[in-house]
Amino acid sequence: MAKAFQVDVVSPEATVWSGLATIVIARTPEGELGVMADHEPLMGALATGPVVIEAESGERTTIGVYGGFIQVLDNQVTLITDRAQITEDHAAAKEAAQALAEEAEEDDDE
Amino acid sequence: MASAQLRDTRRRIKSIEATKKITRAMELIAASRVPKARGRVLNSKPYTSKLIEVIENVSAAGAGGHTLLERRDPKTVGLLIVSSDRGLAGAYASNIIRLAEFRIRELDREGKDVLIYAVGKKAQSYFRYRGYRIEQAYLGVTDTPGYGNARAIANTIMEAYARKRVDAVEGFFTRFESALTQTPARIELLPITPPGASESEDKGAVSYEFEPSPNEILDRLLPRYVEAVIFSMLLEASASEHSARRRAMKAATDNAEELINNLTVRANRARQAEITTAITEIVGGAEALAES
Repeated sequence: MAKAFQVDVVSPEATVWSGLATIVIARTPEGELGVMADHEPLMGALATGPVVIEAESGERTTIGVYGGFIQVLDNQVTLITDRAQITEDHAAAKEAAQALAEEAEEDDDE
Repeated sequence: MASAQLRDTRRRIKSIEATKKITRAMELIAASRVPKARGRVLNSKPYTSKLIEVIENVSAAGAGGHTLLERRDPKTVGLLIVSSDRGLAGAYASNIIRLAEFRIRELDREGKDVLIYAVGKKAQSYFRYRGYRIEQAYLGVTDTPGYGNARAIANTIMEAYARKRVDAVEGFFTRFESALTQTPARIELLPITPPGASESEDKGAVSYEFEPSPNEILDRLLPRYVEAVIFSMLLEASASEHSARRRAMKAATDNAEELINNLTVRANRARQAEITTAITEIVGGAEALAES
């Protein structure tokens, strides 16, 4: 069993997900990024797309994310997102992320 | 005539009862919104505190030199004033406006220009009436502010700051301490004072792996920070507004009740006086008849 670490996913409106996880897969502008326990300190920008978190219990959560940052530090992973939404599966997360991106653009046009 | 007074009093009671119904309804509406607004304030806290934590770490790791951090001698100061669109909330709007106007006078004495960014109709009309320059007004925001609203405001003031239209921006809003206390407050928005810059030393610099470069990250982080601060200002102000309105409407309802009680006593008295007069007249008439 892989070692677990603390993960927090926050958006301006709420804490989207918080708990212990064994792996986090996110997308940065430079490509896909997988984080497991004892990852070296990292500070990255997040790209629009799905984020997958495997909780300690083995349960998988997929989240559609639009914009933000990921910080990995002392076995604490923080995803600071502009917008995020928990979805059923990977494909839905992709769609949700796209929808959030469009929503954000509409808001900016106002 | 006694009956005229009675009719009058009854009419007043009816009108006050109607008013009481309205204020009571407004009290209940405001009361139902307070917990929701309060919840939103609490929900937004983790984001802001995480963001501050990250900015601290990134600036400790050596990134710096961003326009939003750059301090210049202010000639023009922008004031972002968060008031309300509607009245009927006691002294809520006038308290924050008073604090802002006090600051404007102070800046005036120092020979600085002032630009006003008004949130809410109350601030807009107050300052417009007094001939201040209103750069931008945001209406229909304060009831349930969204993150998009905060972003729009943040973009406007950051752009003005980048174009050197303003050299500093201060924010005025009503801090939501608890359901009972809300206090007007002033904060400095721009230039950004790096949060907790003094504490970061004992932590030691974190050697991050950056993806992309530290400065690019900071470039994206700082606007988010301004947005988050403005968002929390709007949320706190909204929670404060709803509690202020609830309190004002409760006081109005209580007053109406007291008035109704007093008027009912007066109405009863008038009615009794009328009856007494009628009886006296009848008895007097009967006696006169008996005598004849």
